[in-house]
Amino acid sequence: MNEQFDAARRYWLKRGVSATTIAMVAASGLLLPRQLLAHWPRDAYSAKTVEDALLALLGEADLIDDDAIYFSVGSPPTYAVNGATVPVEINSTLKNIEHIALLVEKNPSPLAMSFVPNDDVMLPFKTMLKVAEDSDMLAVIRAEGKLYVTRRYVEIDIGGCA
Amino acid sequence: MAVRGKDRIRAKLQDGDTLVRILLAHPMHTGRGEDAQGKLIDAEFIQDIRCWRNDKEVLTIKCGTATSRNPFFAFQLKGGVRGDVITLRWVDNTGAKGRAETEVQ
Repeated sequence: MNEQFDAARRYWLKRGVSATTIAMVAASGLLLPRQLLAHWPRDAYSAKTVEDALLALLGEADLIDDDAIYFSVGSPPTYAVNGATVPVEINSTLKNIEHIALLVEKNPSPLAMSFVPNDDVMLPFKTMLKVAEDSDMLAVIRAEGKLYVTRRYVEIDIGGCA
Repeated sequence: MAVRGKDRIRAKLQDGDTLVRILLAHPMHTGRGEDAQGKLIDAEFIQDIRCWRNDKEVLTIKCGTATSRNPFFAFQLKGGVRGDVITLRWVDNTGAKGRAETEVQ
């Protein structure tokens, strides 16, 4: 009788321990996909102004307006019929590029995209962005510790931030 | 949900360098759009894209909600030969993942 009771107790003890372990692992976030996204800069992407976004993403640096960045928006340039797909092309003569960011000033969250090319990647880089309304767009390149920025104004016929 | 298996990636040699073009199949909901009934659609957008050439990581792209639907990217890689393998993986904010792979033509 006693032995039987013991076996049952052991059984439930084991069950309890493994259940607790699983719960702890789950709670620590190891099993969640969120762990994979730890490097996504949430602050920068949810910032409401260009300055905040740049500060959160690239840190403090002096902005230098520079012609070394070739930046084209829309097709034909400065105009896009559909704000949901605005073609963007970025090129540069700068060396040692560490980080490139694309921002749309009047979007609800200005930072649209950022990328880190290594030495093998050659510009131009082309992509498509959503633009909510007529707005300035910024291309920011960090190279050798400096931030270079170029602005382009783009007109939108149909806003595309749905 | 995203449409599976429709991610497209093309890579070809052009003047000795590799031209890579990527077209992902993803709705990229920003969380501000409405469906036909006027209900808000939950945010669902690709956050992180990583690209490898022959097991060497070459490019990391972080996307915000302002990336257009079915995101498109084009860039070049220095050098390269026919048969190089270009691999791409993406993760969106809900944890969905995708992978695409191609050989340089």
